[in-house]
Amino acid sequence: MANRSGAAQRPNGTQGKICQFKLVLLGESAVGKSSLVLRFVKGQFHEYQESTIGAAFLTQTVCLDDTTVKFEIWDTAGQERYHSLAPMYYRGAQAAIVVYDITNQDTFGRAKTWVKELQRQASPTIVIALAGNKQDLANKRMVEFEEAQTYADENGLLFMETSAKTALNVNDIFLAIAKKLPKYDQNQGQSGQGQGRRLAEGDQGAKTPGNCCK
Amino acid sequence: MNEEELLQRAVEEREKLFKRYEQGREGGAEIDPWEDPGFEVYHTTDRYGFIHDKRLPSKVDIHEAKKLQIEVERQKKWIKMLKSWDNALTSDKLHSRVYKGIPDSLRSIIWCKLLNVEDTKNANSGIYLKMYTLARQYSTDARQIDSDVNRQFREHLHYRERYSIKQQQLFNVLTSYAMYNSEVGYCQGMSGLAGVLLMYMNEEDAFWALHILLTDPKYAMHGYYKEGFPKLTRFLAHHDKIMSKFLPKLKKHFDKHGLDAMLYSLKWFFICFVERVPFSLCLRVWDIHLLDGERVITAMAYTILKIHKRNLLKLNDMDAIVNYIQVKLHKDFLIDDDTVIQNLERSMEELKRAKMDTAGPPQKEEIPTRPFGVFKKPTIDKIVGMRTDKFSEKERQTNELVVLTSDIARENAEKDESYACHPNDSVGGHTGSKFSFEHSNDDASSLLDCEHMGSRRSLADTSVTSTADLSVFSTITRSQAHDNSLDTHSNLSDNSVGGASSVGSGIAATSTHRAFSAHTTPRAASHNQNPDVLRIYVPYSPLDTPVASPHNGDLQKSVPCLFHENKVRIKIDNDELPTPLVEHGQIIKSFNIDTELDLK
Repeated sequence: MANRSGAAQRPNGTQGKICQFKLVLLGESAVGKSSLVLRFVKGQFHEYQESTIGAAFLTQTVCLDDTTVKFEIWDTAGQERYHSLAPMYYRGAQAAIVVYDITNQDTFGRAKTWVKELQRQASPTIVIALAGNKQDLANKRMVEFEEAQTYADENGLLFMETSAKTALNVNDIFLAIAKKLPKYDQNQGQSGQGQGRRLAEGDQGAKTPGNCCK
Repeated sequence: MNEEELLQRAVEEREKLFKRYEQGREGGAEIDPWEDPGFEVYHTTDRYGFIHDKRLPSKVDIHEAKKLQIEVERQKKWIKMLKSWDNALTSDKLHSRVYKGIPDSLRSIIWCKLLNVEDTKNANSGIYLKMYTLARQYSTDARQIDSDVNRQFREHLHYRERYSIKQQQLFNVLTSYAMYNSEVGYCQGMSGLAGVLLMYMNEEDAFWALHILLTDPKYAMHGYYKEGFPKLTRFLAHHDKIMSKFLPKLKKHFDKHGLDAMLYSLKWFFICFVERVPFSLCLRVWDIHLLDGERVITAMAYTILKIHKRNLLKLNDMDAIVNYIQVKLHKDFLIDDDTVIQNLERSMEELKRAKMDTAGPPQKEEIPTRPFGVFKKPTIDKIVGMRTDKFSEKERQTNELVVLTSDIARENAEKDESYACHPNDSVGGHTGSKFSFEHSNDDASSLLDCEHMGSRRSLADTSVTSTADLSVFSTITRSQAHDNSLDTHSNLSDNSVGGASSVGSGIAATSTHRAFSAHTTPRAASHNQNPDVLRIYVPYSPLDTPVASPHNGDLQKSVPCLFHENKVRIKIDNDELPTPLVEHGQIIKSFNIDTELDLK
């Protein structure tokens, strides 16, 4: 907690701009949405991650060149019953990670439905990433990498296979999203729709996960 | 895959899942290594069966031992009471004993009695087995239930091993119940409910207890789990109303950070605080919930926020607030269970006085309409696990309501923002609006205040409230009430000044107090600038009530020296003692009027 209040320090001592983005995780129940977030935000993994009821909220900050990107992460419940609450979370989201479980073909089908819903309902500029999670169980794979990659290419999605358990590609997928998000241009007056909110310098602190700020 | 293949696959999957639970851990069970946790059992298990990631203390905690001793004494009384249970049901004794906590060894029996499980079970003899048989053949929820059983209470002895006997029972109860009450089926959250019941009951009793919790009008949890969550939306609206009236500052604080109750309170309502407060406290709330029904949940939700208000106001982002409410309070509630329950009881009275103890009658859609146990063949979409693309009418309404509520909260927060330029000043600081005027939050919040000043101030404020010119604040309240479109309740402006609830309505002024100070009357202003009469509150430790220590939040059994540190007392202007002290007779004696000094 403590280091969250410090101002974002750049290697050369100057402060870059800070952008804040709302990101939502969607996908079938038990594909590992909460686990991906927990790995990304706290670097932890629980085999028996409690099921998410409704939604959970966490934040994490990553550094990109001269920009600090703060993610407000909304982790949603996977069961269909909770679907009616989901739009509350993805409304106004600038990014989404749609998660499936590579060992379960149905969850991939469900992921496609989520992508469709986002394309139809969410902000038109939303950045969508597809995450094939549980890559550590590749020996039980039911969804081929190529199949998902092709689907992602056709739909303009970022795509990675991830493992919350081994941390494979977890930071990477968030970083890739951060790179793709339109950063607020300092020279323009107002931030446009679908763009990150620019925070006043020093207003919000930044915590740097991993080694992105070395 | 074509339809036939999908159907075939669904049948195979269901067959496989049920077989695994039937077989349990016996020879040849297919268990992935990760599915079995590697806890060390004996060395870290608490009395309820939860295994903790730490060593048990080598010595028995004296406080804990004393409590156990009391519990043994209570057991005798309970056993006596059990012999004439029908008389007990109508007695005041039962009420006070349940609030003191049902002895853990008797919870199995008493919970069944409170829920009247026996009668329901006898009236439906043979049904459970029938439902299980149906589920075995037709369940469409087996996959979801399986994935939830695999992560429910895994740190508990009974649920620790994959396909252990209690895991089998949990799977059976949930799949069978989904057949019996097909309108609800299975909704995530129910595994927590059934999971706790199964810690104290056998399989069939837990099934009926679950049914009673869902469908008896006293608990009526059916409406929480049903598609569109009709009861949840009603109770959340009521919760917001209670917050606006009794904790307006906190409500504004939450609104400012975009924190909707939907985000932090779902496990409060859905599973009665499981995994949100320490298990020992959770059981105490369950005891009372089983006795007094759904209003207990409403009151407990309010009590948690009331007790932790000061700490929550100090947190300035949504992340930290949610973490505090959901994670920290589960690990350590900071004050002991007995004190929390006393506060809960007080909250219930307080809400009752304000006629806000219930959220009103249930809406039509919250009440079960389909007959129980009547089998209806699932549709093909359901069998193959196809998702519907569209919302039902109820889901659409819920969805719109949820969005609307958050929009209104955000708009209000933005409005407030434009009034208050330095929001931090009024939050536990020493400048700005100095008096909290929060009648309902006095002693409880001071128990948790990290600053000594704060705790003294809060009770000083209480007494000021009783003499202050509230009309000023209620004027502001009224003007504010128009702004507060979320609060459809008119109490804010209707209550007469000076009544118990009008003190509450005065609260609404607090956070906008400074913004309006230009309009205050001279009399009210004098309270702020130059208070001529003040009461100083001396932190005390009634009956060894643990108190959060200032810096690390650890519990202390008592605060012996504080009494002498507070030598400076200021004249009390009337005979009335500071109200909260009345609750603890013993203390009033030591806090005598003759210890006062008139500083003038």
